[in-house]
Amino acid sequence: MATSKKVITRDEWEKKLNAVKLRKEDMNTLVMNFLVTEGFVEAADKFQRESGTKPEIDLATITDRMAVKKAVQNGNVEDAIEKVNDLNPEILDTNPELFFHLQQQRLIELIRQGKTEEALEFAQEELAPRGEENQAFLQELEKTVALLVFEDASNCPVKDLLDISHRLKTASEVNAAILTSQSHEKDPKLPSLLKMLIWAQNQLDEKAVYPHINDLSTGQLKTPSE
Amino acid sequence: MPTTTSTSSSFSSAASSSGNRQADVFSRLASSDPEVKLKALREVKNQIIGNRTKKLSFLKLGAVPAIASALSDSECNSILVQSAAALGSFACGFEAGVQAVLDAGVFPLLLRLLTSSDEKVVDAGARSLRMIFQSNQAPKYDFLQEKNMKFLFSLLNSENENVSGLGASIIAHACGTTVQQQVLCDAGVLEKLVILLDGSLSQREACLESLATVLKNNPEAVSRFVGLEAGRYLSSVTELTKDRYPRTRLLSCLCLVVIYNTSPSYFLNMGTKSSLVTTLLELLNDHGQSGDDAALGLSSLIAEKEDLQKLAYEANAIKNIVDILKTGSELHPKRLQGLFLSLAELCSKLEDCRCSFLSLEMLDLLVNALRHKNADVRTAACICFRNAARSVKNLSAGRFTNDHVMLPLVQLLHDPSSSVEVAVLGALSNIVLDFSSPKSTFIEYGGIKQLIELSKSMDPNARCSALRALRNLMFLADNKRKELFYSEVKAQGFVSLISDPEPTVQEQALALLRNLVDGCINSIEFVFDEDGLILDTVGKQLRKSPQAHMAIQGMYVLTNVASGTELHKEAVMQQLFPQPQAESNNFMLKFLQSHESQLRSATVWTIINLISPSSPGAHDRHVKLRDEGIIPQLKNMVNDACLDVKIRIRTVLSQSMSFGDN
Repeated sequence: MATSKKVITRDEWEKKLNAVKLRKEDMNTLVMNFLVTEGFVEAADKFQRESGTKPEIDLATITDRMAVKKAVQNGNVEDAIEKVNDLNPEILDTNPELFFHLQQQRLIELIRQGKTEEALEFAQEELAPRGEENQAFLQELEKTVALLVFEDASNCPVKDLLDISHRLKTASEVNAAILTSQSHEKDPKLPSLLKMLIWAQNQLDEKAVYPHINDLSTGQLKTPSE
Repeated sequence: MPTTTSTSSSFSSAASSSGNRQADVFSRLASSDPEVKLKALREVKNQIIGNRTKKLSFLKLGAVPAIASALSDSECNSILVQSAAALGSFACGFEAGVQAVLDAGVFPLLLRLLTSSDEKVVDAGARSLRMIFQSNQAPKYDFLQEKNMKFLFSLLNSENENVSGLGASIIAHACGTTVQQQVLCDAGVLEKLVILLDGSLSQREACLESLATVLKNNPEAVSRFVGLEAGRYLSSVTELTKDRYPRTRLLSCLCLVVIYNTSPSYFLNMGTKSSLVTTLLELLNDHGQSGDDAALGLSSLIAEKEDLQKLAYEANAIKNIVDILKTGSELHPKRLQGLFLSLAELCSKLEDCRCSFLSLEMLDLLVNALRHKNADVRTAACICFRNAARSVKNLSAGRFTNDHVMLPLVQLLHDPSSSVEVAVLGALSNIVLDFSSPKSTFIEYGGIKQLIELSKSMDPNARCSALRALRNLMFLADNKRKELFYSEVKAQGFVSLISDPEPTVQEQALALLRNLVDGCINSIEFVFDEDGLILDTVGKQLRKSPQAHMAIQGMYVLTNVASGTELHKEAVMQQLFPQPQAESNNFMLKFLQSHESQLRSATVWTIINLISPSSPGAHDRHVKLRDEGIIPQLKNMVNDACLDVKIRIRTVLSQSMSFGDN
């Protein structure tokens, strides 16, 4: 099999790679894009001072965005909602799905804390009207309220809602909405580039034998025979 | 473990306790302590954002005027920001809120915030104003006043993206007339707007919306826009149809649709057209507002354009749209309207589309839409029916004439909305052509009575459409149906229809009469009811130098009557040459000299029937026609430009010769 493929030696390959000229500034922009989107404010600040790369948005807004994200991750949803509204009141007013998911998360937190009465009141007052407006919301609401029916909520068909991963999901949804409102992509560019690298290697594997990058963290080239 | 009992008790107490809380916050809005007031404002804002129910209940408590006074009385920036944000939220996607906000007189207060030195205050003011300008209730903005135009440009020139976006929103929602478009273009607004195309997301969206408004139906503005930097910005807008944000893709598509509908010459490239169609089709799958708007955009793009309809059909538009309609989830009325209108456009010309649409078994969905609570949806569904029923193949297969379809259509003839009435009449006009069997559901459900009722409507469009439906219903109808119809209208009824103030209605009334008296001798008798009242009225109308379209139908009525017995023919002669003759010039001579070949043809037909050799009085009538100068006029027309007229004239002249006339 391998005999029919073209073989490229390490020397040849490195020569080719070295011939590709990448501007340092472009690399820095890529790193800055990652730091800003993922919300690493301090790192972004340091990186700006050291490399002179300008961030796409005001770094102060990252702090605000991260505070919102963190509040959801910690289960302080009400606090998160107030922070989003201070940042830009349009976000939740024009994004009914996100608003519903935040309110749903609030309900989940009340249930988690065992505040049954409060949870029911909240579901009735805040979430039921949204369910009337939208069939899909109603189904999600029913699923959430079902948590109250089970003796052992941690072992019921809808237990996923109580999982920490659900908080993270909601948090990343708010994060994405804030980024969009700031005309910023909701995902950093770097991971997509790495995915593209793996895809390109897979494509090339069918035609040639050449040194691979297998470990993305080191970027070391490895020839298949080694 | 909660039980059902505790559930129901806490549910019933929830409403009242929340009511108390709202009343409590509301009372704190008026507090003289700025700290308390600020906290209350923030609380109201956080409660109403995203929550229509709360907006409504706070509105009822009178929160809007209370917040407005906080806005006008305070110098504290935090209070200004919170109150402006709360007012903006009341105005966001909530028409009653917009009304309340405008009634509270906050418009000038919000404008004042734009001049603040605190960026946060400016942002809050600009955002709230933009919300207001997204509503149809937004105050009229007079672009013709110089100071207003100056202010608008100061907004567009602002570094603050919310403020320049506000400028674009004002244009998008307040510019409506050609004069306004012209003034804006002359002031250089296009040059300013295109800069925002490279701006932030919200600037870009506001810019695309306002470009569409300024360019709509204004070829001069379009050519100015396209001419900017040699078409660079037309390319930018086209490029934005591939943007990653669906709303941006949609707005740029809508902008291109406007440009295309205004000046099609900029869209010679088939690739651009087809990618516009496919982008809009993809956007239909968006669940939000963009998907709703895409549907109407698509219908507007393909309206009356066969090439684009074909492109859409090839891009599987019918299947896509039907799939969305079949998902079963509740769709926004605007989306339903757009989807049905798009289907209607697709079925307007192409038989392939009609067949493929009807093969997807969605007549049930269409019937449901006829009962939708929104009048625009009902109208769109009717138009869709009308165009689908243009398929003669499916029509004659009886697909539309079963009870299931017919009952809701007939019921819509009573619809409170006149646009629904006109649309359903259009649908019925096509469907009734298939009433081959005398016992039809339409008639059983009282359709004829209702059509006659509508032929007396205040709305001339409804009268016209009702008569058109009746005209088709009487086309080759049997005598029983004709009698049923006539017994409802009677001679007096017909007279008032033929004498309607609107010429188009008169034309349809005469065309209906023409079909009524077509066929057997019995049918002709209708015009002789009440001493020939109807025939007299037809004669009277023809002598009044009517418009050609009306005269054609009138002459065919006479043609059909003249095909009857000796008595019928003489009655027609009476109308043609009444005693004493008032005018020196006979109207038949005028009709024969008309530019409209159909009118010449109809007139010659009448003459043929009058002098047909099998009837005893033919010779005398021929003499009269010759003495009145009609036959000599025909002799001058032997080489008429219209072949049909030419052949008929030869028939008359050979007849004439057999009477010994050379």
